[in-house]
Amino acid sequence: MGEPKFIKTVCGYCGTGCGLIAEVQDNRIKKIRGDKDAPVNKGQTCVKGAFAYEYVHAEKRLKSPMLRKSGQLTEVTWEEAYDFIAKGLAKIKSEWGGKAISMFACARTTNESNYITQKFMRTVLDSNNIDGCNRT
Amino acid sequence: MIVIDPRKIDMVKSAHRHLQINIGTDIALINALIRIILKEGLYNPDFIFKYTNDVEVLREKVELYTPEYASAITGISPEDIIDTAREYAGAGSAMIAYTLGITEHHCGVNNVFDIGNLALLTGNIGKKGSGIMPLRGQNNVQGAGDMGCLPNQLPGAMSIVKEENRLRYEKEWKVTINKEVGDTQTRTFDRLEAGELKAMYVIGENPLMADVHMNHTKKLLEKLDLLIVQDIFLTETAELADVVLPACSWGEVDGTYTNTDRRIQRVRKAVEPHPNTKEDWKILCELSTKMGYQLDYHNSEEIWDEIRRLAWEMYGGISYTRLDQEYSLHYPCPDESHPGTLIMHERFYQEGMEASKSPFIPVDYTPPLELPDKEYPFMLTTGRRYESYNTHSQTKYYANGVKLKQTEETVDIHPQDAAMLKIENAETVLVESRRGEVKVKAKITEQVVPGLVFMSFHWSEVPTNVLTLNEFDPVSGTAEFKACAVKIRKLDE
Repeated sequence: MGEPKFIKTVCGYCGTGCGLIAEVQDNRIKKIRGDKDAPVNKGQTCVKGAFAYEYVHAEKRLKSPMLRKSGQLTEVTWEEAYDFIAKGLAKIKSEWGGKAISMFACARTTNESNYITQKFMRTVLDSNNIDGCNRT
Repeated sequence: MIVIDPRKIDMVKSAHRHLQINIGTDIALINALIRIILKEGLYNPDFIFKYTNDVEVLREKVELYTPEYASAITGISPEDIIDTAREYAGAGSAMIAYTLGITEHHCGVNNVFDIGNLALLTGNIGKKGSGIMPLRGQNNVQGAGDMGCLPNQLPGAMSIVKEENRLRYEKEWKVTINKEVGDTQTRTFDRLEAGELKAMYVIGENPLMADVHMNHTKKLLEKLDLLIVQDIFLTETAELADVVLPACSWGEVDGTYTNTDRRIQRVRKAVEPHPNTKEDWKILCELSTKMGYQLDYHNSEEIWDEIRRLAWEMYGGISYTRLDQEYSLHYPCPDESHPGTLIMHERFYQEGMEASKSPFIPVDYTPPLELPDKEYPFMLTTGRRYESYNTHSQTKYYANGVKLKQTEETVDIHPQDAAMLKIENAETVLVESRRGEVKVKAKITEQVVPGLVFMSFHWSEVPTNVLTLNEFDPVSGTAEFKACAVKIRKLDE
């Protein structure tokens, strides 16, 4: 057993933004508690923030890119997946323009990833068809 | 605290009054509150004179909404409506917090306008303890929009139709930015139906389960030439994809989130991800480079610093170093010496500050688009349950030993209705709308009123959104998730 580490972070569920402390041992989250120093929640949490973290370590997590071959999603390398997407998007863009491509950005991922998501759409695909789940 | 909700939700226990409003009748209530505040002189005349326009138009519009008239529509007693108006206007400072019960209607934008009318009328904006607080459902839905993941906005919430804004980003990105406003998700599905949309790239979202009229959504997604899904699980949407990319999850990534009150905070990596998964930004950078546009960053801080440089009015002063020291900062925060902006619109209450005038936007009550009738006699409203999160891909995995109250979907029905239909608690019934049907267990509860049933969409075994109505607010594109007509049958009939 390794030494436990305590990581200060922010909850990934709702928009309240509760500060959490994750107790990590041997690369697994063992426990989560509310961070008393956090200005939003002062140590409190809801049931999801404190206990619904096992998904991070779930067996069913995706661990490989997959490509549909003969109707079945089949594990492939990143290189093969990127090649397929790059060719597919380039073809659609040249035939129909960027207007024929839409991006559903992620309201759960970081600001940094969202910035790159829209930069990719606007530079590579020349498309402003980008929106999140803010309407659902 | 006054709770306005069609159901007796848990928060009612902490409230001093619960207004159990009929579904979709918010404007009738708010217009009545406005009328009382105007009639009884409870408004803030100084604020109205200095900062608003068109109060007379508002006065005319709400004249119809007497407490008795609003009571007949909303189901709330005239006395409760009058007391609520006096309390809100007389509180000194009062805040209105709302969420999808306001926006997920065909009149969602009008609902929000009317909340704005109420706050402006009483000057409840720009001072501590006041304001309008749209509570947001996702950890970073605010940030995603602010970062420019909207069809009409560049990062820093800058309008894309303004040339000077595009120029700022064009200079840095060395491309010409398309000046045409793009498609919302709602319009994307319309254009997909019309055959104009060929490819869709979905990151960490499960629209098949989450959107209204699911059978229709599925048919549309199957029309795509190319569906790319980037996620942490093989969601129902990912199962339809041509390509699936495995992303790192919360706990495995570094960066920032923006919460519901503009607060930027650091999310930190707690564990090392599986070596064959990648951070969302990394995937997009590699794909972009592959497609001929070089994107290369060493870490999330380098990306954040680019955002700070370009959208400096909002984020210039919010460095990772400061966030480590100060925990969180509210934008706008233009430079390192700026403390951040805890309260917005403070200019309204500061001597000598200029502030532009806001018009009142009077609106009329319009009933839900599909009301119960003889054939479909119940109103179905949908929402979330406490322990589960959206399409449940993450909250399936609770830590061991947590005792959960609700582990499967139910249709929540009032005891009177259950007795009338001879339905027992936990009996499986059939719920049907004009668009589809689901089998689901009944939960007999006084949380709902007679004639109203409630369901969530957390469990894929009971895809509630096969029932919901594909009608949308014309401005926001938000669907009327909160109201549709259903019938309920015993399975052995």
